[in-house]
Amino acid sequence: MAEYRIVLNGSERRWEAPGGLSLLDLIRDYAGLTGAKYGCGEGQCGACTVLMNGRAVSACITPAEAAQGAEVNTIEGLAKGGRIHPVQQAFLERSALQCGFCTPGMIMGAVALLASTPEPSEEQVRKGMAKHICRCGAYPRIVEAIQLAGRLQREARRG
Amino acid sequence: MDSLKARYIASLEIELEPERYELFSDATWRFSPTRREVLGRLGAGVLFVFTAPVPARASAEAKDALSTRFHISPTNVVTLLTGKVELGQGARTLLTRAAAEELRLPPERVLITMGDTGLVPDDGGTWASLTTPETLPAVRRAAAALRELLIDTAAKLWGAPRESVRIEGGAFVSGPHRRDFGQMAELRAVMSGIPAGAPLTPPSEWRFLGQPAGQADGWSCVTGEKQFTADLPAAGMLHGAVVRPRAHTARLVEADSEEAGRMPGVRIVREGDFLGVTALEPAAARRAARSIKAKWDETPLPDFAAMLEGFRKGARAPVPPKPGVRYPALVTKGDAAAALSGAPFRHESTYSLRPIAHTALEPRAAIAEWSKVNGQDFLTVRGGTQAPFAVRLELAEAFRLAPERVRVIAADCGGAFGGKQRGEVFLEAARLARDAGKPVRLVWSREEELTVAYSRPAGVIDVKSGFNPQGQLLAWEFHNYNSGAAGLPMHYDVEASWCGFHAAPAPLRQGSYRSLAAVANTFARESHMEEVAARLELDPVEFRLRNTVDARLREVMEKAAALGGWQGRRGKALGFAANIEKDARLALCVEAAVDPAARTARLVRAVMVFDPGAVLNPDHLKNQIEGAILQGLGGALFEEIRWEGTAFVSRRLTSYRVPRFQDSPKVEVHLIDRRTVEPAGAGESPITVVAPAIASAIFHSTGKRLRSLPLERAWRELPA
Ligand code: FES
Ligand code: FES
Repeated sequence: MAEYRIVLNGSERRWEAPGGLSLLDLIRDYAGLTGAKYGCGEGQCGACTVLMNGRAVSACITPAEAAQGAEVNTIEGLAKGGRIHPVQQAFLERSALQCGFCTPGMIMGAVALLASTPEPSEEQVRKGMAKHICRCGAYPRIVEAIQLAGRLQREARRG
Repeated sequence: MDSLKARYIASLEIELEPERYELFSDATWRFSPTRREVLGRLGAGVLFVFTAPVPARASAEAKDALSTRFHISPTNVVTLLTGKVELGQGARTLLTRAAAEELRLPPERVLITMGDTGLVPDDGGTWASLTTPETLPAVRRAAAALRELLIDTAAKLWGAPRESVRIEGGAFVSGPHRRDFGQMAELRAVMSGIPAGAPLTPPSEWRFLGQPAGQADGWSCVTGEKQFTADLPAAGMLHGAVVRPRAHTARLVEADSEEAGRMPGVRIVREGDFLGVTALEPAAARRAARSIKAKWDETPLPDFAAMLEGFRKGARAPVPPKPGVRYPALVTKGDAAAALSGAPFRHESTYSLRPIAHTALEPRAAIAEWSKVNGQDFLTVRGGTQAPFAVRLELAEAFRLAPERVRVIAADCGGAFGGKQRGEVFLEAARLARDAGKPVRLVWSREEELTVAYSRPAGVIDVKSGFNPQGQLLAWEFHNYNSGAAGLPMHYDVEASWCGFHAAPAPLRQGSYRSLAAVANTFARESHMEEVAARLELDPVEFRLRNTVDARLREVMEKAAALGGWQGRRGKALGFAANIEKDARLALCVEAAVDPAARTARLVRAVMVFDPGAVLNPDHLKNQIEGAILQGLGGALFEEIRWEGTAFVSRRLTSYRVPRFQDSPKVEVHLIDRRTVEPAGAGESPITVVAPAIASAIFHSTGKRLRSLPLERAWRELPA
């Protein structure tokens, strides 16, 4: 048994659990947050993407031990005060999804991308999102949605 | 039960493509016999039972049964019940809006229950793009009948003329009277007789259909609230894992499970070749399964060339179809052999395709629970499936239960693409749960998805044609081996043709994939047409037009060529393909970036002109078409299952490449909306033209004619 402590979506949490878990196991099976998905378990699809200290990581290949003490943010913590995040809003507006299985990971990846590149070109979105797979093929819409989200965020900041 | 299954299969034979191998094959597992009721589930309210609106082509079981379509609660909640499921293709949105249209309710006021065999009518599997052409009209007819019934009831109740009763703001009103749906339904004692032939709302008065609509569950997708099978609450549940051979086909010889047996909370289940475990947590189940050392007797696999040889050798000659069969394995017109030998010119070519994997992003998953109802075993399994009623029969067969003692509750799928039509994971979860005496959830790994699931069939296709120097086709002979009959018929104008599908024994598990063999057959047909055009030194679009009478097909071809810049294509790698598939007309003009040295190609731009008849939800349809182009380019260019010896070597996403952001072209979709033409389903057909269009682009820019999918592989194997 091991002790895991992370700051999950802003609140400090602690679990006693078997050693050797992945961050994805911890989030889904212990914290009970199922927005991050298992799609491959090998860091190849991005369905499990969460933010760790602000950076997008594949939770499936991140050992839960490596997240000790870290700030972890998942899709569940993105909406604030009942208002969805501009990236979520943009995905809705552009219908940038079909089955929605890739969507939580995509959105977290996009949040991280926009934090470092607030005004990404089409090419920058493709590169920045390279590790995400949408098997339903919503890529063209996702690119548009992420660019739209960038605009929404800039507008929101300008107030 | 056997006769029920036989009837079910017989109805599928009429309805579906013969290459849906997974539906016609035996159950994945057959377990030894075990040693050891429904309306209340919806809560109070009124269930509306319709006999008329069952779709004409529904399974025999559904035709015999009464179809329950709507439930109205006293609290004014209207629920539509359907056997269709949501896979990401938008059935939920479309059917909800169709019901709302006829009930004159805002779409958000209509709830929908999908794919629960304990509650809903059997609308057939969610396959073959039938939701739009079949289930949608059934739902509209039932909703219209319900509306008319409630209007009649209101008129009688208030002693008001029928014409004075309207539906406004979600309630029935007439003069001073007003009652909402819930209050109306409470009056069921007053109701009598469902009016026959209730009028459907004409397209000119549509408020919801024909309009762009966001996805009904879009909100839950972007917030992460949408739950797939693996996300459903796990309280009181055990978790399973199955021990698999590395080989594609193998028999279990022996297993050393001592270490797993010592792990706390772990149970081991072995029956025949089935070997699995349950544990308290998913990670523990995986660990236990990994620790088991099993010995397997493995069956070798032939290499690809030998596999194709095997298809030809083992082929059964196609027989004339039974009447009414939708996808006949043999379609003939005139005397093709005579026309061929009499033609001034002839051309022959052979095409092939390798197997590919569906790779839905959500792996298969199921939650099984055994209980006792009236002292007898009752099995409930929840999971993502396209075919809840077929899976119910499969479970019933595997566990020797009457189908009424099995309830399958379809969960939303994170993509399916034809891959979630078998009950494999349902059966395995149920077997583990029977042993555990508790609910068990089983979630397949990506590796299981890529190695245990069935794949799109490989195949080989021989085409012969005869034509004259003026560019007129005179004869057509087309043989598909193993891959299937969908998209087989010739839709170009030709006096004599013979098109046949030769079924053959295959060494791989294989089955349905989005649009079935229409991908292979369209690739072969369109490529062959281009080859003939090249021999005649005719423009390939012009050559197609010369041999096309169908006015709608001509229109999409002309439009796609114009919008795609076909005339000014000099110096660019442009390609073209067209098709009639599942009643839709479509043409695709693509531009590729071709690297002859590396022998690779990338799709840069794709211009699709699509005519499905009436367009019910334009933005949604575009989303489906874009997705089909994206998925299609993978199978066209680089996707392939690879194997060596006895086992697949493409076992992970690092070794099985699917399209990613950098593969994604600029996609332009132009819809032709014909409000008076019955709408065709469109989730599948757009994928058929992708491979031939890319092959065409490679040919026009390099002179290389690639005749096998995936194209990049074929190109690499071409002599220098
Ligand atoms: S599940 Fe983590 S990257 Fe695929
Ligand atoms: S929406 Fe289905 S995988 Fe992206």
